[in-house]
Amino acid sequence: MTPVLDLRHVDVDLPLGGFLTRAGLPILRDVNLSVGRGESVALVGESGSGKTTLARAVMGLQAVTAGEVHFDGTAIAGRDGFSRLRRDAAMMFQDATASLSPRLTVGYLVTEPFRIHRQPLPDPARMARDLLATVGLPPAIADRYPHELSGGQARRVGVARALALRPRLVIADEPTAGLDVSVQAEVLNLMADLRRDMGLAYLIITHNLALVRHVADRIVVLYLGRVVEEGPTAQVFAAPAHPYTASLVAAEPKPDPRKRRADLAIRGEMPSVLRRPAGCEFHTRCPLARDLCRATAPDLRPTTSGRLARCHFADHHQEQGDHHALEN
Amino acid sequence: MTAVLEVQNLSVAYRMQGGALQAVRDVSLSVARGEVLGIMGESGCGKSTLAAAMINLLPAGARVGQGAVRLNGTDILRLPPAAQRALRGKSVAMVFQDPMTAFNPVLTIGRQLADFVGAHDTGLAQPERLAAMLTRVGIPDARSCLGRYPHELSGGMRQRVAIAAALLMQPDVLIADEPTTALDVTMEAQIIHLFRDLRTSFDGAIVIVTHHLGVIAELCDRVAVMYAGQVVEEGAVDAIFHDPQHPYTRALLACDPAVVDPSSGRLPTIGGRLPDLSAPPRGCAFEPRCRVAAVSCREPVPRQRPSAGRSVLCHRGAE
Repeated sequence: MTPVLDLRHVDVDLPLGGFLTRAGLPILRDVNLSVGRGESVALVGESGSGKTTLARAVMGLQAVTAGEVHFDGTAIAGRDGFSRLRRDAAMMFQDATASLSPRLTVGYLVTEPFRIHRQPLPDPARMARDLLATVGLPPAIADRYPHELSGGQARRVGVARALALRPRLVIADEPTAGLDVSVQAEVLNLMADLRRDMGLAYLIITHNLALVRHVADRIVVLYLGRVVEEGPTAQVFAAPAHPYTASLVAAEPKPDPRKRRADLAIRGEMPSVLRRPAGCEFHTRCPLARDLCRATAPDLRPTTSGRLARCHFADHHQEQGDHHALEN
Repeated sequence: MTAVLEVQNLSVAYRMQGGALQAVRDVSLSVARGEVLGIMGESGCGKSTLAAAMINLLPAGARVGQGAVRLNGTDILRLPPAAQRALRGKSVAMVFQDPMTAFNPVLTIGRQLADFVGAHDTGLAQPERLAAMLTRVGIPDARSCLGRYPHELSGGMRQRVAIAAALLMQPDVLIADEPTTALDVTMEAQIIHLFRDLRTSFDGAIVIVTHHLGVIAELCDRVAVMYAGQVVEEGAVDAIFHDPQHPYTRALLACDPAVVDPSSGRLPTIGGRLPDLSAPPRGCAFEPRCRVAAVSCREPVPRQRPSAGRSVLCHRGAE
């Protein structure tokens, strides 16, 4: 079956702003990523790993330097192509309140996509009510303004707006950032319900691994704009093949004082994309780096367990259980 | 252990049209030297107002109804303004959620750190002293960091600098309001470890205010759980996480995505919403959302103290 979204060998350079130079910041490098129909894929990595740039490139808000974006089996190009794509794929923004215009009512905001894409909208009030009902908000909210909403309500309005044109893919950028745990649970349940009822596919961009565990079938880990590991969520969490994934899993605070971690799994910070390390780009922070890692860049290869990992020693780590040493 | 900071029966309200919002209601807490106290709760529970009261930095619309905040025995809420300024930063220091807005963008880190301490003691403003403090919080190449501007540092580094700034005057109490919320999971882990190191090397008390249950569990010795302006449960961190007595604490722990088994499908939630704090209920504030509520829960709630250091604000909690 053709995937809904398919990125092939995508590079994105962000311009440095020079007038005469054509040099850019090499943000994404050779990214392959697909999201199947009704599938939920999580894209994880630290700030600066290129997650948000990737989402912007998919939506056509950022030009792709090399490679192709396919949607529903068709290569997307040009303004018209991406304009059509934005009708079938919708975005949930990280800061839900800021993504809503403060001068428009909720009722207008959730039906605005119809106006933007010139779709027929015979009864706006009724459509607004229906959309709000889909995300579990009372009809009275339609007359309110964004500043009158709580964080959880604003997030729901963002979801309602994303669903307006019945998209097949929703790209959610940190869908639970800044929400209280009880509200987080409500938003995650809502996303799961919509997926079941409407057959939505999700591309979820986050660094919150607890969220990934609950909503993603598959996980793609980005480091410095390259995919370093990809595989089914449960498998990746149970036995990460790449030391970076292992570090992320180990860094997550555990809500149990009896399971406090004795030591930190990852040191230092992500290097700049202007000074990409030679060899394996993770070797500067990798607790398991050897001479080979400093000299030769590994490819993204299948591991014996059928996942993909960009590490010379992926199979070795998994067999030896090195990562368990890392986590404890 | 003697308490270095004590909050006694504190109530704080915000003036608003047609009344007052009771943000903190009759809260009593204390924290000792060498101890890390966590204040845990969701948005609107009053935890940030309580933290601001602890350093007497309440916003203009806030009014202290009753109660006291005692630092080494002195009520800081009733000091003259000059004495309050002398105290802030020197005896009590604060680390804020957003390390970007905590700094002036047009001054170098070194200049700002020198300003912080210069207000109290010019001798401390020597670059060597400042660099030594930055090294202590884990900043590599501290001398060159002094010459940089805030935007040149990553979020994690800025939060380290904010912690260094707070520690320069060797305060008795360090209050951190959501210190890791704006950070990535890897930087969050590094800041948690930094606080742990400080706990052993720094001779003061640390108060961590957060809604993140993982941060509380990793870092704190004792926890106060807040709901609707009240401390509904208090106890040792192990007791709060493994033997929660208040139904709100139980519900909150149960719905954290980090503890729920992903194969269970749905996450538990807490239905309903916070009570209107401009007219707080006479009885238990959690009663309308509580699964074990009874008619008696609408009566004023006596504080139960099942064991030393443990308190529960529930009619049924200690049964």
